[in-house]
Amino acid sequence: MKSHLFILLLIGILFTVTPSVLMAAPRESSSGKGNLSDLSRVARSNDGLKRGDSFESGESEVEEPPESIPDPLEPVNRLFFRFNDRLYFWILKPAASGYKAVFPEPVRVGVSNFFSNLTTPIRFVNCLLQGNLKGAGNETFRLLLNSTLGLAGFLDPAKKELQVEKEDEDFGQTLGTWGIGPILYVEWPFLGASSLRDSVGYVGDLALDPRTYLITSIPVNLGIRSFEEINDHSLILGEYEALIKASLDPYVAKRDAFSQYRRTKIKEKGKGIPPAAKPEPKPPKRASRAHQAYQEKEILLGGY
Amino acid sequence: MSVGRPIFAFLIAVAIAAPAFSESPKDQIKKTTDQILSILTNPLYKGPSKAEERRRLIRKAIDERFDWEGMAQRALGIHWAKRTVEERKEFVGLFEDLLARTYMDKIEGYSGEKIVYAGETIDGDKARAFVKIITSRNKEIPLEYRLQLKESQWLVYDISIEGVSLVNNYRTQFNSIIVKSGYEDLVKRLKEKKTYDDKKERRS
Repeated sequence: MKSHLFILLLIGILFTVTPSVLMAAPRESSSGKGNLSDLSRVARSNDGLKRGDSFESGESEVEEPPESIPDPLEPVNRLFFRFNDRLYFWILKPAASGYKAVFPEPVRVGVSNFFSNLTTPIRFVNCLLQGNLKGAGNETFRLLLNSTLGLAGFLDPAKKELQVEKEDEDFGQTLGTWGIGPILYVEWPFLGASSLRDSVGYVGDLALDPRTYLITSIPVNLGIRSFEEINDHSLILGEYEALIKASLDPYVAKRDAFSQYRRTKIKEKGKGIPPAAKPEPKPPKRASRAHQAYQEKEILLGGY
Repeated sequence: MSVGRPIFAFLIAVAIAAPAFSESPKDQIKKTTDQILSILTNPLYKGPSKAEERRRLIRKAIDERFDWEGMAQRALGIHWAKRTVEERKEFVGLFEDLLARTYMDKIEGYSGEKIVYAGETIDGDKARAFVKIITSRNKEIPLEYRLQLKESQWLVYDISIEGVSLVNNYRTQFNSIIVKSGYEDLVKRLKEKKTYDDKKERRS
């Protein structure tokens, strides 16, 4: 069983084409976040959750040193970046475009919902690991409702009718909330942007993915994962192109977008938790006010 | 008389303060967004033949709301201080062009998404306005405008999309280029990109 998991993992890594090809790949892109200055800030302020807070770095103050994830593997990463870039333009994009032309959007969204429903254990366990009981409850509720009334997960009545949204958590984020920084940037072939921390997180998520156990035939498992990637990409075609087009150095642009995106996701962690339950000390004045205001707004808008 | 004077002074104070406080950062963002949407949805400017006119009008609306110099300065970060006045001017122009194009590309992809003004926070002369774009698939894309009060106008100095700040993203790229091959190379690449994008735009 163990070796089976290991092989799946390796292949998974080789094959889950994607996530990362995209900055905004919704789910799986692993994480990344700060940098040395982030780490030192964590050490100093001990505010693991809000570290690298975009409210701070977002200040974009002139004196502030550029914020970026450490990248000692840059030469290799750039090589794989080029590989992934070609993979996207030569294989993934044509496949996703063809698929998109055949299947209408509601079907593709349904497929995406179905896979997302299937991987509920990943989000459920990570909510628990982050002390987010409400999030874990929401995930359970969503699983029950969407698996039944939502026709095995193809529909999302939990969100549509009851505004109970998906808790987009993964093990990389959990590690982040525990105060572990991204350590360094890794660009995996096929998998794309990640950090050392999020690569470990990815392994953890695979272990929580029911498909790892249910679908024991490796070719079938890979086939399903590839299909999921193509389906997901059919819904976000154009995003990667936009990032590349807007950049002067696409590799650095992607690395930084990934790093900022993950940092924000980790920071958002506390969203469903009542303030009293938040483990970290009060973040800096401005950050906390802005952040709270933002959360309140989300609640007002029916995010929860 | 002695009663009249304070009241008069108060009225003047209100009159002076009014432009600054009558419109919140969120209102100003909304105003600009509405202006842009009205251009995008106006049948007069629809179609490829009107693209140039449409982009010119949108650019004008953006120019009024964006603090290009503030953005450029932040994008250069620590390297800004080392630049001469002429270099800064040149850089602001190039950066403005790049960013306007990026922003414009995103705007032009607009296809009837719902826009929700989720609120704002103000802290002295800095503010954030939170906007949500809700796609047809019911997916929410959080946008955050960061603004600074300049001459009674809230001007945008950064935009963050799904937690990714554009200015920070450029700053990381620019710093990486400057550290590796120098400021001159950065300017050269900005110019090359502009030429390339201009050409592409004209072709399409």
